[in-house]
Amino acid sequence: MTAEAPVLAIRPVWPGARDVFFISIERMLPRARSFWVFLLLALPVVLGVLLRIYPPKAPLTGFEFYGVIVALFFVRNLLPLVALLFGSALISDAVDSKTLTYFLTRPVSRLSIFLGEFGAYLVTVLTLTVPCVVLTYLVLCVGTPQGAGFGATDLVQDLGACALTLFTYGGLFALLGVSLKKPLIPGLLFLFVWEGFVANFPGDAPNYTITAYARSLIRHRPSEEGLAELFSKFFGVGESVLVLGSVGVISLALAIWIFSRREYVISS
Amino acid sequence: MTARVVFKNASRWYGPVMALNDVSFELGPGVYGLLGPNGAGKSSLLKLASGQLRPSQGSVELLGRPAFGSPEVFHSVGLCSDTDALFDDFTGLQFVSALLSLNGFDRAQAHKLATEAIETVDLKDAMHRKVGAYSKGMRQRIKLAQALAHQPEVLFLDEPLTGMDPQNRKRISDLMKRLGDEGRTVLVSTHILHELEQVTRRVLLIHNGRVLAEGDLREIRDLLDRHPRSVRIKATNTRGLARELVTLPDLVSLNIEDATGHLLAEIRKPEAFFTKVQELSGAFGVEEMWVTDENLESVFSYLVSK
Repeated sequence: MTAEAPVLAIRPVWPGARDVFFISIERMLPRARSFWVFLLLALPVVLGVLLRIYPPKAPLTGFEFYGVIVALFFVRNLLPLVALLFGSALISDAVDSKTLTYFLTRPVSRLSIFLGEFGAYLVTVLTLTVPCVVLTYLVLCVGTPQGAGFGATDLVQDLGACALTLFTYGGLFALLGVSLKKPLIPGLLFLFVWEGFVANFPGDAPNYTITAYARSLIRHRPSEEGLAELFSKFFGVGESVLVLGSVGVISLALAIWIFSRREYVISS
Repeated sequence: MTARVVFKNASRWYGPVMALNDVSFELGPGVYGLLGPNGAGKSSLLKLASGQLRPSQGSVELLGRPAFGSPEVFHSVGLCSDTDALFDDFTGLQFVSALLSLNGFDRAQAHKLATEAIETVDLKDAMHRKVGAYSKGMRQRIKLAQALAHQPEVLFLDEPLTGMDPQNRKRISDLMKRLGDEGRTVLVSTHILHELEQVTRRVLLIHNGRVLAEGDLREIRDLLDRHPRSVRIKATNTRGLARELVTLPDLVSLNIEDATGHLLAEIRKPEAFFTKVQELSGAFGVEEMWVTDENLESVFSYLVSK
């Protein structure tokens, strides 16, 4: 006769996710990877200080320069890369380090594990990104004709755009991370081949890239026209938020579905 | 028997490789040894039992539910896996407490249970140090602590004594026996027959993915005693230790490995040897001891042919 299981249930999703989150954030944030990424993200701050000390002769104000940095450096290039580095590693790092077993042999659902890990990802990347964007803004905009008070709304919108970019790419790369053993190379190919080229094709091709929607969220009043000219296609804010949010949510749902069913063979 | 772990014709393949073949057994309360040569399928069996893998065929039940896909059973199940993976940036106390939080214990309860478990494995002095700085034996003990801390009914221990010094081997062996006596189910895979004998006589014999029998340990040991075993010892004073051990009657060979400075011994009857090493461990700074080869392959070939 088989023993009756004690009356114990799987832990509810959110408390389980919260406990996974606290473990994951402690393992994610203080890592060498976070330090190097922070240095990369802080490059515009250094550049901004140099520009304040040695102002360029080009007729570009600090505020306009800030707009270009947010659109091109952060949203277009670096944040997708940060999302790839952290998002694709959510589960694959735990498999590689063989610590996934500790989560899978506890009374928490795989949904909780994934949500906790993804929450830790979001908090980590935002902790690294937000101070760098704010500092870049302060260094380049405070004391300029379009001073801090004037551009504060733009800053908040930019931070929202950065957060949404990190969410969407993070969801997509988390999906890649639970589906593939080595997600980094396909992720880089996606970023630099698909997103790098197709987003600038004429016609409707940019509709099928994430970056075209993400960059459309960067709208600075003084430089909006310049940015719009720089890119071949620009979408409305509402449409961009809807597309980015949908891609992020659908990617996460698929990633959770795969993670919940997949068997992880972790050998010694 | 009230079975807590039930394998019914369970098989498991990794691609074309068969790791377990039509395995059936039931485990109730008590300590069971899982014995077999390297590659026999011990770790695969423990992974199936602990719900990490699903069977390709047949079924595996844990506490009355399918082992794979029933996370709720882990309120009552502890696992000490064979991998050397830990959260290296955590202290010992943080590591065990964090995993207890996943079982639903609040901060104070987790701290209390973690401290008790760490005391049980004699790591209290090191519990505020990062586990990344632990020795192999200490890492093994902190893994055991996290498996024990929530006081599970069923424990799966995969090579739990690896890398431990003689005193801690004895301590953990005694602990396993105590857990079995308390009515818990403990399935322990080990190469070290000598210590297994101190905690149980019930063994599952596994070879080439098949459980041959639930055998009597004494019979197996008699067979093994005909085959010399290799033991590797790490000590601070290897030469002094070698001088003391060389007089033992059942010693086949004794060497000091140039590359590592470890002492390599081949012995026939291990009991006197292990007892002697245990006595001398303090004087000569014995840090770790491994039985590197039980020559189980030849013993199992013999058993298969019977």
